Amino acid sequence: MTYETRMAWQNRLLLVPALVLLGCFILIPAVTAIYLSFTNDALSGYAASHPQLVGLKNYLRLFSDQGFWNSLIVTLAFVFGSSIVGQFVFGLAAALALRRPIALRPLFNAAILLPNAVPEVVAGFIWISMLAGGRYSTLSRIVGLIGVAPQNWLESAPLLMIIVVNTWRGIAFAMILMTSGLSAVPAEVYEAARMDGATARQIFWHITLPLLRPTIFLYMLVSTAGTIAIFGLIYTLTRGGPGGATEIIGIYIYNQSFVAYQLGYGSAVAVIMLAVSVALGAVYVRVLKVRV
Amino acid sequence: MTVLRAGVGLIACAAAAAVLISCSGSGTGSRAGADSAASTPTIRIAEHRQPRIDALNKAIPKIEKQLGVVIEVIEYPAPEKDYLSKLLTELGAGNAPDLFTANFDSDVPDMVSAGYLAPMTAEVKAWDGYPQLFDVAKKLSTSADGQIYALDSMLLVQQLYFRRDLLDKAGISTAQPASWKDLLDRAREIKAKTGKYGLLLPAGISWGPGAFNEGFILFAPGSKTPQIVNRDGTLNLNGQGVRDIFRLYKSLIDEELMPVNPLLGPEPWVIPKYVMFPAGDLMATTCGTWCYIYDWGKDSKNPVPDVTKNVGTWAVPGMDGGLSVSISGSNIWAVNAKSAHVDLTKKVLLALCSVEATVAYAGLVGNIPARRDAADNKDFQALTELVPVLRDVDKGTFERSTPGFSVVSEGVARATEALLRKQTDAAGAQAILVKYVKDLLGDNAVK
Repeated sequence: MTYETRMAWQNRLLLVPALVLLGCFILIPAVTAIYLSFTNDALSGYAASHPQLVGLKNYLRLFSDQGFWNSLIVTLAFVFGSSIVGQFVFGLAAALALRRPIALRPLFNAAILLPNAVPEVVAGFIWISMLAGGRYSTLSRIVGLIGVAPQNWLESAPLLMIIVVNTWRGIAFAMILMTSGLSAVPAEVYEAARMDGATARQIFWHITLPLLRPTIFLYMLVSTAGTIAIFGLIYTLTRGGPGGATEIIGIYIYNQSFVAYQLGYGSAVAVIMLAVSVALGAVYVRVLKVRV
Repeated sequence: MTVLRAGVGLIACAAAAAVLISCSGSGTGSRAGADSAASTPTIRIAEHRQPRIDALNKAIPKIEKQLGVVIEVIEYPAPEKDYLSKLLTELGAGNAPDLFTANFDSDVPDMVSAGYLAPMTAEVKAWDGYPQLFDVAKKLSTSADGQIYALDSMLLVQQLYFRRDLLDKAGISTAQPASWKDLLDRAREIKAKTGKYGLLLPAGISWGPGAFNEGFILFAPGSKTPQIVNRDGTLNLNGQGVRDIFRLYKSLIDEELMPVNPLLGPEPWVIPKYVMFPAGDLMATTCGTWCYIYDWGKDSKNPVPDVTKNVGTWAVPGMDGGLSVSISGSNIWAVNAKSAHVDLTKKVLLALCSVEATVAYAGLVGNIPARRDAADNKDFQALTELVPVLRDVDKGTFERSTPGFSVVSEGVARATEALLRKQTDAAGAQAILVKYVKDLLGDNAVK
């Protein structure tokens, strides 16, 4: 056995623990979910003890299910609003602002990072006190000072509110990633641009953004996948209501599987969502020609 | 070579750790086995919501002493639906507690079909408390195959509750409505004279099984489809009665006689029942005896003063006349078919259906013991809100359930959700229900 072959085997050996864990906790559950999606398995009733293969029935039902399409649209709006727009814009702005030598910078850093340190459910309850309760809610009291009528924000603008909450929670992650991307941009490039008379706006659009592109798309990929998978925050805040207005796909899968007890159908939705996530990932990585 | 040594070392350490863990595990296991053989058996009971846990804890010491067991209470999530989801998941996985309750009669047939429940017909019929059970409790506890798999230790007695004090003040009649039209007219009069909501029927997906068990089902006996289970076990969901019930919902929603927005949010019962009704913003609602204790009575955080005087009850009128009071099961105790101590658990179950235990539940939760002799118990006699209700239990009506009822319950929740969101009419709601049930149970399940 040559040295190279031996090294190759050693390297493969080192991967074994990770592969075993991935197999046990990712691969086997995923394959099981795909299998379940072709059955009528349930948590209760005759199908719980005698699940049967039903072919594509769950998938056919899914495509005519208004609730599924509603949750898909809500998910896309939620991902676009909170992850692609909200977190990214504020995260980039925070990263750019905190590069400058400003007073109390560590304090600002900590303030932006804090929401990420709070568990999802706790964050949900904090925001319930902000948004729910009509005239007693913190937000109603604040906007009441400028004459806005008190309301239950989770009923009057539920989707907007969960987008705001998730934006608040995710700015830190975007900021950290953008900061690392910005630190990789050579200082000489900025110096040369300034010497050529470029304005701050021109520097941002023609140097900073293009050089940040790989970081931005890495962020988009990770953030989109993470936002699609969010559950605890929305479950605590609205449970998908009112009337399905915030029923993102994770909540919809939970409702089908553990509220309506239809494990087979819930698995079919999960499989479709997996396909959507993979497709979105492929769009980021391939269509935009960024190597991540 | 360094990498190789590091890799081999890592694997060797992992293997050694695995061996150590497995040795220590087996050692502990054998010791535990030896210990458990010599020690008192432990029965694990699933319970949820603090008043129920308190009631259970009151009953436990006597049962432990009487049967020589250790009882461990495992606290489950409070909302009924979350409780049931967790319980069913564990029953499916084979690691559920030995003893637990089903929330509603509609849950039991499907748990039986799934093979989760141990049959206990012989034990229940030989039990000295059996002759004391109300006939309705016996019927509700008996499955379609004639076997008993779960025992209704308490009864939900449900009808319409209204704010007598506020209606009197507004000059609105508090006489018993004679028909659905009467009921609607009363709600309209309330809206016109006070601007308040006239009647709440639980509805929507967020309310979970309550949309069916605390709303829809109360109106079935007085409809043209009084039983939705046919003699052959199929479901009569295409009947005119089902459509008429949805029409009643539709009228209340479209005419803004019942609150809609709170029903679309999480925990939809909180605002209408715990806030609006005590505040007088909602004048009537379906409810059960627990409302006199828990929702607006002595244990409420927002009580209605002098509740039995200021809150009156109406029987549920039929569509064209006739009255009914709905009786259904509560605290429906069942034994896990995979329990390691099935026989002993059945004894604990029967002890939990004793007069003392059921009265403890009545006092803290507000439901009615399923046995006649509870009326003689001093603690029960102190519950003056419940005494007359127990006396009249035999006059109530009940709905037969069948496998697939949990699907019907979810289908009604979805149909009423569509009504709440004004997406459909009564016929459309019925079509949603029928389609959902057929999708899951097959075309032959519905007639």
